[in-house]
Amino acid sequence: MSFREILNSGKFVVTAEVGPPKGTDIKEMIHHMEVLKGKIDAANITDNQSAVMRICSMAVCKIAMDHGLEPILQMTCRDRNRIGLQSDLLGASILGIQNVLCMTGDHVSAGDHKGAKPVYDVESVQLLKIVDGLNNGKDMSGNEMKGSTNFFQGAVVTPEANPLEPQLIKFDKKVKAGAKFFQTQAIYDIDKFKEFMKHARKFSVKVLAGFVVLKSAGMANFLNNNVPGIRVPQTLIDELKAAGKEKALDTGMNITARHIKQLKEENICDGVHIMAIGMEDKVPVIMERAGLL
Amino acid sequence: MIITKKREFKDLMENIKGYKSFFLIGCSECATLCGTGGEPELKSMKEVLEAEGKAVTGSFIAKTGCQVLGTKVELKPFKDAIDKAECIIVMSCGAGTQTAVELYEDKAVYPANDSLFLGNMTRLQFFDERCSLCGRCILDKTGGICPITACPKGILNGPCGGCKDGHCEISPDIKCAWVRIYERMKKLNKLQELCETTIEAKDWSAAQKPRTLIAREEKKK
Ligand code: SF4
Ligand code: SF4
Repeated sequence: MSFREILNSGKFVVTAEVGPPKGTDIKEMIHHMEVLKGKIDAANITDNQSAVMRICSMAVCKIAMDHGLEPILQMTCRDRNRIGLQSDLLGASILGIQNVLCMTGDHVSAGDHKGAKPVYDVESVQLLKIVDGLNNGKDMSGNEMKGSTNFFQGAVVTPEANPLEPQLIKFDKKVKAGAKFFQTQAIYDIDKFKEFMKHARKFSVKVLAGFVVLKSAGMANFLNNNVPGIRVPQTLIDELKAAGKEKALDTGMNITARHIKQLKEENICDGVHIMAIGMEDKVPVIMERAGLL
Repeated sequence: MIITKKREFKDLMENIKGYKSFFLIGCSECATLCGTGGEPELKSMKEVLEAEGKAVTGSFIAKTGCQVLGTKVELKPFKDAIDKAECIIVMSCGAGTQTAVELYEDKAVYPANDSLFLGNMTRLQFFDERCSLCGRCILDKTGGICPITACPKGILNGPCGGCKDGHCEISPDIKCAWVRIYERMKKLNKLQELCETTIEAKDWSAAQKPRTLIAREEKKK
């Protein structure tokens, strides 16, 4: 079954992230793919994440398929104008890529080519509309195409954004623009996430809660201070502290597993998205502890 | 107004190293307010050039340096001084510099300033950019705050995930344009309108360069 079919069947899905490397040596990335194969339902292939130049997402999506993983093509609006985006989407479609995650993309000032000209000819909401158009046989200018795409298109949302309401307004616009599924920024407070889900459940879209494993109390504090839309509650920071240096990572994995289990048991959302950031090996362990394997 | 700042002096010196005599043109409008092309700046440019062993044959502050015909008329009395100069240094924006280029076809003209943006002056010599002259204004849909300019990504439909406590992902010194728009629409009781409008991708053909405009009706001969 495809990711779309699994998600629509009502099964609790798991996606994880695979980050393309900088350079042509893809041994480690392929190892990650092999670890994830058969365990997760789809793999997000990031698009020059944090505006750091790496292998393009589309090529790595193809490699993922060759290694038995269903890819979700992450597509940002930072580096391509509307012609480039549409052309890449058509290319992705003929390669057999079925899922696309539409994002605006981190600003070039976050990355390693700070002098680059940011494109942002369109943004996430408009990109979703473009995908919807291509799925219906029309390009953005309304020209009829010979053969249409059949993408399952998704978007991102930050359930703990501050302030929240403008973020929710944008969420609604993304739904209206055709988003079928959402993957969220990392969440750490299930009660707050439930509040967000009350809003999201007004629409018939699927929501996958995002997870970033906490490796230490220091990392939790770093995320709180530096990463927009992430709020690690003090109780979790205390739990990591109490575990001590040796056991902090293990405790972080337990926290993630515990949260995933709760989401599934209480039927709070439709699945989870684990952003392992270099610890792809640990994804199956977390899934096992969450009772998903 | 057009915001300018002085170019690196050594770059200007490199440009003019082959010339000995100069005429200086400033501007009484934006460049004066920016402190790049008014009386004091022209005076100090003259002093610096003379200290470098160059001659300044004269100087003049145009009323509006981007106004070609007016500036041409204003410059008439300076014909001798300009004739004597091998090179003109313009201390206004790039538009003012090109007025001089048009008026003095045979003379070298160099800019003393970098032209930065169309800006609002918030207090003396504090400037910020609020309009990028996109050619088709959408302020009617965004509570009068321009996301094309105020949001580094030019997002047209709400804040990105990088918004942190109301501030922009690229700098804590910048307030997120979409939080500002949201707050203003809320004050105006127009949140409903904000929710219901999806702004379409911009038609950038309106910003196609070079742009020209004839704003008056041509008189029939
Ligand atoms: S939308 Fe913004 S950039 Fe365009 S004309 Fe209006 S204020 Fe200027
Ligand atoms: S934080 Fe706000 S102003 Fe900054 S890029 Fe995102 S939407 Fe634009």
